[in-house]
Amino acid sequence: MSIKSGYHRKMLQVDLSRGKLERVTLKESFLDRYIGGRGFGAKLVWDNLKRHGYKIDPLGPENLLVIAPGPLTGAYVPSSGKSSFVAISPGTGLYGDSSIGGGFGVEIRQAGLDAITVTGRAPELSVLLIDNGDARIIAMPELKGKSCLEAEGMIKEKLGTHSVRVAVIGVAGENLIGFACVNADWGRNAGRTGIGAVMGSKNLKAIVVRGDRDIPVHDLHGLMAEHDKASSYMQEHKYFRMWQQEGLMNVIAYANEKGILPTYNFKDSVFARAHQIDGATMLAGYKIGDSACFCCPMCCGNVCLVKTGKYAGTVVEGPEYESCAMLGPNVGIDSFAAVLSANRLCDELGIDTISTGNVIGAVIEGYEKGVLSLADLDGEDVTWGNEDAILGLIHKIAYRQGIGDILAGGAKKILQRWPEMDQLLLHVKGLEQSAYDSRPSITMGLAYATSDIGAHHTRAWTIAKEVEQGQSWTDDEKVDIVIYHQKVRPLFDMLGVCRLPWIELGLSERHYQNFYRYVTGKDATLEELLELSNEVYNLTRLINSRLGSTRLDDKLPFKAWAKPPLTGPMAGKVIDQHEFTKLLSLYYQKRGWGEDGTPPVSMEDRYD
Amino acid sequence: MLLDAGNMEGRVTKKLTVIPEQCSGCRICEVVCAIKHFNVNNPKKAAIRVLNVYPQPVTRMPIVCSQCKTPACAQVCPSGCLRLIDGVVRLIREDCVSCFKCVEACPFGALYAHDDCDWPIKCDMCDGEPECVDKCPKGALRLIPVAALGEAKRLNNILSYTQMKEIEFYEKGEKKTIRYAEIGKEEL
Repeated sequence: MSIKSGYHRKMLQVDLSRGKLERVTLKESFLDRYIGGRGFGAKLVWDNLKRHGYKIDPLGPENLLVIAPGPLTGAYVPSSGKSSFVAISPGTGLYGDSSIGGGFGVEIRQAGLDAITVTGRAPELSVLLIDNGDARIIAMPELKGKSCLEAEGMIKEKLGTHSVRVAVIGVAGENLIGFACVNADWGRNAGRTGIGAVMGSKNLKAIVVRGDRDIPVHDLHGLMAEHDKASSYMQEHKYFRMWQQEGLMNVIAYANEKGILPTYNFKDSVFARAHQIDGATMLAGYKIGDSACFCCPMCCGNVCLVKTGKYAGTVVEGPEYESCAMLGPNVGIDSFAAVLSANRLCDELGIDTISTGNVIGAVIEGYEKGVLSLADLDGEDVTWGNEDAILGLIHKIAYRQGIGDILAGGAKKILQRWPEMDQLLLHVKGLEQSAYDSRPSITMGLAYATSDIGAHHTRAWTIAKEVEQGQSWTDDEKVDIVIYHQKVRPLFDMLGVCRLPWIELGLSERHYQNFYRYVTGKDATLEELLELSNEVYNLTRLINSRLGSTRLDDKLPFKAWAKPPLTGPMAGKVIDQHEFTKLLSLYYQKRGWGEDGTPPVSMEDRYD
Repeated sequence: MLLDAGNMEGRVTKKLTVIPEQCSGCRICEVVCAIKHFNVNNPKKAAIRVLNVYPQPVTRMPIVCSQCKTPACAQVCPSGCLRLIDGVVRLIREDCVSCFKCVEACPFGALYAHDDCDWPIKCDMCDGEPECVDKCPKGALRLIPVAALGEAKRLNNILSYTQMKEIEFYEKGEKKTIRYAEIGKEEL
């Protein structure tokens, strides 16, 4: 069965150096095989990598940036507001992607596009403006140095309309920070892997989109019926209201109870004052509104306001679990108002909250342990929970002042400057670890180690299941669950939908084969879709492999196997290195990769 | 009956009311409205739109026709194609000259224009059972009898005006609370 609908079959190619914009038609085989989102991104990045002899400077004009929603983005499917930003990451030098929610991807689809690619470098700071069939590059040097939120406002002001969606970088992106992000809809972020710096390197301050075209759907009535089934299931779930109210902030209390909450740079995994920064605290005194992505009944996003004290007047879209954990307990901050202020600062500067909290946590511990001197910290006494110093450090990173200039490079640059920091800084492949401790969960360790972008939980998040049920899992079961997650979770990013209805409310992944069928008209089973997702996983591995990554890079941070959490239910737990090595070999074997983690050369032929 | 869609004369006696504080900005209302009226998946063809303004305390506001009894849109319509019929301002498409004066005249901006469409896009209340109200996952859109309009605000006003005290008590073993105002206590 072929693809009958679901796509505009059009991609906008932008070469900023030449000022050239071209709409190209996408082949059916491409749509069929790579689906959308990260699938499109991986294939296009791979082709570009081959064109450049497998050498790409992430901050060079040759690095191809792909922005791709999926076939379900904008369709009447629960939580269908997702799109992916894909490029070679400036933080890791390897494959990078990050997805963004809100409504930006929907607008791209309504402008009649399935993907946008950007190469080159604009002669001055510019904005890419897409208005339905029209696309232009407009120089807007006046946006230089403006925060994400201010720039979004200025762009809307200049265009005289609020009916556009703006994906914009802040100072951090302009200053090429290794973990700069892309911000849209006043605070949604494509946070990870430094995509903001890729835009900055191209002198591209923002992508502005307006579209009003129909989103192609093969069988609208079938889709509505499927939507209603899925949506009723979600709304009847016992935790549905809790998700609407607290969103991901409910995870703070859960993680603290289970002993997996990063605290003091992962020295510990419970935080004594977690109740001061958890979902209940947010609801009691800070939350002023919900914020949903397109077509999402769960609305996990929060809008918070600080009403009193030194941070009074701070409004932020957020926080969610990761931002709150990394900018809270991980740096020792126990004031929710301060967490909100740090979150807002990150949104303004356009810097990833996870990496920022991770790096600052490592710096504080480094200073505590004497690895970093007071002089290294520019004479600033940065200690646990010192709000002013921590906010100041975030600022210094984005503006590359003093120590900020080194931290701005991300894990890899920090370790070049201070190799001893390797024992303190948690990262995989140069991507700073997100807010789930892996020490009590070897499958989570395997997930981080084998994630194509580095230590992020987006590809596989097995920790809850292992902590709750996995004590007697066999090696096969452990590896299988990681591989299954690595198939199903990226599939959501390819389809352009959020995975939370599935992972948090248990919405069956079977629904998605039906959604896909109703939208595209193509019959595909879930297993077939998962296989396509798996092929993309092999492809991102090939990309990393060709960029020089091997088994040596699939390693866990020092703390994961050498430094157990000090207190709480997981006190004393670390990952057994010997067991991990065994699992990793088994993982490669099951994936059909070599013992050194390299996919067979013959695999490359599959992606011509 | 208070809860019926219309009274015995068949007139719609309920108003589609927006509670912006409840809106999450998910735009499901837009999608279902467009599907129902245009049979396409296109939120930009909806007669209700969520406007997101930042950083006001109310950050999301669905904007939809109030079915005014003296409709500004009808007053500027040169062809008289907007008419109040049974409590709903209806658009008679055959008479519309596509001038879109009505879109600009509406004090709430609750009429919309789209390139594909020769007439303004306007809420018709789905014959008394608005799809958006039915599908809103937050209860931000409600169908409220005209007589009860403003009741929630009145209640809020009273609650915040008087100094409410709370006591707990048990009724048939079930814990309950009752609120009351301690009037005049402060002067004592």
